[in-house]
Amino acid sequence: MAETKEKSLSDEKPKPRVRPIVRLGIFFISHSFLVSVVCCTAGVLALFLLPVLAKNTYISENALMPGSASPMLSNQHVSDGNRLVKDLTNPNSKSSETGIESHKIIAQYMLDLGAEVSFHKFHPQMNQFHPLHFFSSPDSGKIQENYSCSSYGINTVGIIRAPRGDGKEAIVLVTPYNALKSGFGEALSLGIAYSVFSLLTQVTWLAKDIIWLVADSQYGEYAAVAAWLREYQTPKFSSLSTPNAEMCPDVNNLFELKGHSISGSKFSNSFRRAGTMAAALVLKVRDQNEQFEDTISIYAEASNGQMPNLDLINVVNYLAVHRQGLRVNVEKLWSLLNSSWLKTLGEIFESLAKVAKILYPKWKFGITATEYVEGTATLASSLYYQALGVPTGPHGAFRDYQVDAITLEISPKFSLDKVWRNDILLRGGRLIEGVIRSVNNLLEKFHQSFFLYLLTSPSKFVSVGVYMIAFALLIAPLPMVAASLYVAANSSSNCSKGDSSTPSAITDTDENCIAIRSWRWLNSAKLVFIVHLWGAIVSLLPYFISQIPDCSPTTSFMIWVLLSILSLLTLNSVLASPLACAKATQEKEWALVKSVTISSVFIGLGLMSVINFATAEIGALLMVPMCLLARPLKLDVRAGTLRSFCRMICNLVLGHIAFPPAAFFLLKGMLDGFGNANVGDFWMWVESLWAWNSATYLFIGMVQLPCWVLCVSILFHTC
Amino acid sequence: METFTNPKSLFHLLLLPCLLLYSSIAYNSSPVESAMHTNNWAVLVCTSRFWFNYRHMANTLSLYRTVKRLGIPDERIILMLADDMACNTRNKYPAQVFNNENHRLNLYGDNVEVDYRGYEVTVENFLRVLTGRHETAVPRSKRLLSDEGSHILLYMTGHGGDEFLKFQDSEELQSHDLADAVKQMKEKHRFKELLIMVDTCQAATLFNQLQSPGVLAIGSSMKGENSYSHHLDSDVGVSVVDRFTYYTLAFFERLNIYDNASLSSLFSSYNPSLLMSTAYYRKDLYKRRLEEVPVTNFFGSVMETIHTDAAYKALSRRNSGRFEDEMSLDQSVHHIERRMLIKVNDGDEIHDINPEGEEGACKCPWSTFRNKFQKAENVDSLVNYGLVAMIPLLVISTWLVQ
Repeated sequence: MAETKEKSLSDEKPKPRVRPIVRLGIFFISHSFLVSVVCCTAGVLALFLLPVLAKNTYISENALMPGSASPMLSNQHVSDGNRLVKDLTNPNSKSSETGIESHKIIAQYMLDLGAEVSFHKFHPQMNQFHPLHFFSSPDSGKIQENYSCSSYGINTVGIIRAPRGDGKEAIVLVTPYNALKSGFGEALSLGIAYSVFSLLTQVTWLAKDIIWLVADSQYGEYAAVAAWLREYQTPKFSSLSTPNAEMCPDVNNLFELKGHSISGSKFSNSFRRAGTMAAALVLKVRDQNEQFEDTISIYAEASNGQMPNLDLINVVNYLAVHRQGLRVNVEKLWSLLNSSWLKTLGEIFESLAKVAKILYPKWKFGITATEYVEGTATLASSLYYQALGVPTGPHGAFRDYQVDAITLEISPKFSLDKVWRNDILLRGGRLIEGVIRSVNNLLEKFHQSFFLYLLTSPSKFVSVGVYMIAFALLIAPLPMVAASLYVAANSSSNCSKGDSSTPSAITDTDENCIAIRSWRWLNSAKLVFIVHLWGAIVSLLPYFISQIPDCSPTTSFMIWVLLSILSLLTLNSVLASPLACAKATQEKEWALVKSVTISSVFIGLGLMSVINFATAEIGALLMVPMCLLARPLKLDVRAGTLRSFCRMICNLVLGHIAFPPAAFFLLKGMLDGFGNANVGDFWMWVESLWAWNSATYLFIGMVQLPCWVLCVSILFHTC
Repeated sequence: METFTNPKSLFHLLLLPCLLLYSSIAYNSSPVESAMHTNNWAVLVCTSRFWFNYRHMANTLSLYRTVKRLGIPDERIILMLADDMACNTRNKYPAQVFNNENHRLNLYGDNVEVDYRGYEVTVENFLRVLTGRHETAVPRSKRLLSDEGSHILLYMTGHGGDEFLKFQDSEELQSHDLADAVKQMKEKHRFKELLIMVDTCQAATLFNQLQSPGVLAIGSSMKGENSYSHHLDSDVGVSVVDRFTYYTLAFFERLNIYDNASLSSLFSSYNPSLLMSTAYYRKDLYKRRLEEVPVTNFFGSVMETIHTDAAYKALSRRNSGRFEDEMSLDQSVHHIERRMLIKVNDGDEIHDINPEGEEGACKCPWSTFRNKFQKAENVDSLVNYGLVAMIPLLVISTWLVQ
């Protein structure tokens, strides 16, 4: 607005004093095509440059001092852990149907060490779509009415109090364990945790309490940890009348037995707490493995792309690589590793770096082509899992309470002899001990290092300051193009009016005309608003559809699509009919619609980048080209040049790709192959998104889908 | 007879020789060495806290132990420590602090008197200690009660930067503040000589603004350099001592209270390749030659000793002051004195002093007076002595005449 005014002023006066920033803006707007091409190319290029620009990680917090203390975990502790593994894998312990025996064994072992032990029983909460629960803090667990005594889980919790500590802080160690069908890996993870636990009961240097949570994973690892955390952080004060797990005979049985066997010990029936959690480690051991060496995988992504502090990953990575000789892995998109175009790109970057080094020896940003491919695969998976907004493990539950947590999955090279088992117990235990000792040294929360980053390898990262550039370049042309379209639409209609009317009438109608014209964008804004309203309705529909009992994913999806189309038509007929060109004078209507659409997309992307950057980045990759290129097909057909033909093809392709379900199937096909694609998959995917309260769902429903609809409506605009 | 009974006139008469006496002393004493070195003080400051700064506390405690061993009593040591290591929950050895991974020496053993502890270690308190501007309620044990005859050792360690030193991660002491405090001390005659020893990163920059005479400063690193820790104790899990302090202590471990090592030998003992930084000392404000100043002048409590033949025949304050001036000018005499000390305390070294033995043995006020008389450079003082000697004659004669 301001720019256009300035421009009209500059037309009238011979020498206006225009500020440089305004002149720059006018320049950009008048060259919006060039600017948008340059910016979008640069944005995509910057995205592909990120693996090259990645920096090595470093321990930012002085207090951590990882690896400065020599590990104290000895063979004695390892043999303790081995004993537990043997007892748990012993077939006798699995006699009970509910697996209570195993819990008793674990509790007994903890008690023998002198730890405080308690059982936490919970009812698995089915993840449901709550339309208003996005971004809200986790509630204190509404008690569900209809549960039976048969479905409950038991978490076993052991707490070591720091002998000279103030009891204000705690470190949590989680081992998911399914008593009913536990593999050897789970038993081994318990063994590792137990050996560390037995060491920690003896040491004098603890400043924080240690909580060992054996999470009952029969209803899912996440659910168990989340239930325990909910109880820990938000105690519920339920009335006595509400049914709870103590009424179930089985549980009572468990407690009675406990009370019998060990009276006067540190066992307690009530929920036990320690201080605020400084960090949490989830430890898993994978059952089968085909790797050649002992590997440890780090999973860090929590809900909505939140990451734990980079220092936590650094500490684990440093200790695993430099102290225990384990290989550290982070998730990669394996399909990208073999892609030849990435390899070519990597080689290009490599040769460019070589040239740069010749020109100026101090420039060192070269990485080899294989490093580049690996970095890109890791970066892509980092982006993907953050964009999904679904936690990649039980650690996600901790992040909801602002506790830094990661999941460590040890995949040992399997052989069943005892030496190997002792070795993995020793190394895994020493790693955990080292991390705990390091976190124990912390004086404050993790705060020194990054929270916003993308990993390109376990020891390399791209920080927010770098990856924002790619996104900013990508969305920078949007406001300029919107402004230029607005200006063009106004000025061109002015011209056409001037031509049609007689010269004498111009002055009469001019003011009137300008007044009307300057408000014409409201019409387009109304359309855009209606479509966004429709988007909100569409994103609410699954809540009602999921209430329908016995509905297969495919039918649910179909119902959803049908209802969406119906609601769009209804809204269109009720509120307005702006999709069709009502008046012949507004032949530039589509330009205004496009201008407003682009503005709304810009706002939507900007907001989303604050909530979940990765989603915004991927969304921008899909939507920005579509928005910028959108132009009525009719015009292109009429023009008939090669350029317009190309644009038409691009528009059609983008129009297909940017449709959310199409994008989903394309991505899924690229990752898993197109063989087993099913229409219901999209429904299931969306279901998982809202179950995890992922903001990505809202983004798709309220930004991407309306934008797509608007762009398609522009494509098929009749003018 | 009236005047004889008039006390006022008598008073005036008595005042005259006093003034004369004073003028003769003032005439003789140079501005720097206004007084004799009579006592030693040490201000030891550890400016950091938190577990990972264990080594700074170990540095300070090590130096505390050293200066105590070399003879500065506890009441003349102001120890400022965050003191959160010994009883830190992270400490594997409760109530013990080590400065070496061999754990042979517990620095936090017995008799550690911390004067300023924990959050009392602030820039304000530090400056108050130096300048002596305390609130009235502050006990004597927390004050630096030095005088113009004091040699003060000021040792500081912590995290520093270009012309500043951080105090407990919350405030900074700037080089201007330090220079100002030292200047105030000089004005208030709170020290004779001051040795500032700083073990931080870019320690040398902290001395840039100093301008008071009598100040000697040594820092662990030049501008742009870091000071590194010496080694890690993997049992305790922290670095336990800094390099500069480690090698300083290594130097002092070889010494005892009777040793004669000079400051220059201490300063030249720092090997930049071992320190991984360049130790820097600033001596332009310091008048004495470093080769002639024993380290125990600052790190211990060893002073010039005046030998007398018998008890209760010590020189008057005035003469001893002159005597000391004399010695500092004439190093041979100085050395005799030092060796005398050794002889008294250590019979083994008796052969050393034999050549000069007879000269040292026949010292008495008259002989020194005679010596001075023989020397041309002391004509001025002779004249003064003469003047002073004439005063009683004048008084007596005036009285007799009346």
